[in-house]
Amino acid sequence: MKEYSQELSALIDNELDDEVVINELLDDADLQEQFSRYQLIGDIMRDEGKGLDLRIDVTDSVMAAVANETQDKVSSTIPLTAVENNVVPFMKRFGQYAIAASVAAVVVVSSLMVNQTTDPDNNVTPVLSTVPFGGAAPVSLQTSPAQTKSDIKERNEHLEALLKDHQLQLQTQP
Amino acid sequence: MNERELDLQLIQRIQNGEQQAFSLLVRKYQTRVANILTRYVRSSGDIPDVTQEVFIKVYKSLPNFRGDSAFYTWLFRITVNTAKNYLTSQSRRPPASDIDADEADSYDGSGALKDGDNPEAILHSQDVKRVILGVISNLPNELKSAITLRELEGMSYEEIAQIEGCPIGTVRSRIFRAREAIDKQLKPLLEN
Repeated sequence: MKEYSQELSALIDNELDDEVVINELLDDADLQEQFSRYQLIGDIMRDEGKGLDLRIDVTDSVMAAVANETQDKVSSTIPLTAVENNVVPFMKRFGQYAIAASVAAVVVVSSLMVNQTTDPDNNVTPVLSTVPFGGAAPVSLQTSPAQTKSDIKERNEHLEALLKDHQLQLQTQP
Repeated sequence: MNERELDLQLIQRIQNGEQQAFSLLVRKYQTRVANILTRYVRSSGDIPDVTQEVFIKVYKSLPNFRGDSAFYTWLFRITVNTAKNYLTSQSRRPPASDIDADEADSYDGSGALKDGDNPEAILHSQDVKRVILGVISNLPNELKSAITLRELEGMSYEEIAQIEGCPIGTVRSRIFRAREAIDKQLKPLLEN
């Protein structure tokens, strides 16, 4: 400490620009106390300590409060991580619902297509025809004429089983 | 290097995450802040708490400090605002005659009587003052002159060297020896 005392005195007087001395001062508690006393000497000479309790030093309490402040700032960022962690289960569940909805949509479209081919009034021209003139139907609406009633029934049962299985999986998962 | 540059250097360190540098600003300015607060805060027992509040506000506001004005001017404004908020919280009105930042250095706010003055604290402060001024009066003339020109007149080492007719290094040494002599008597008094 002694070796830096003269530098400390010059630093207080703003006559020294030395990073090494400042670093030493920040690391040495005794040197910091000396810094405070040197400051106090000037304050008393200028009569700035009049009426004050000179035993009171708020440095430690301020630094403790500042440390808490910093800690609060750090801890306030923690929920962000927690939120990110919650995103995964939410997305997982959302994905499951999406799959279920897709399967349901496939079932509905398939049954519509089946009904269209088995409808006895199939030859009646609808009020608004989506079938182009000349009899060519859109590819997506074409069904294989070779399908039998048993094939259709089998496929519907299979799809129904798939749907039930998927719903069962959703219920058993958290 | 002037005072403003040293303060800015410390602030830069704080802004770069070196929190401990803030303790030096507190050590440097706490007596001056408490002295300003005596103008507003009647209960001397509340002065340490309000002083602490001032420095916590300063720390929180440091990221916004751009260095357009001197740190002390900025600190002074925060001190006065904190004191006024304190008075509002105590349902008291701020004093009719306000003080400006320009007057901050020369302001003597110690004249008013304060509630809750601690006789022991007053006695201790008087002891501290008596010891410091006693040591100074017994110093060799060249040391007494150097420390007085520095602390009371605010002269630089170069200006003191011109007045005293000696090298700057001698001024530096004289001021340090004066402080060392005072500190030798002051340290046990503050520790007790």
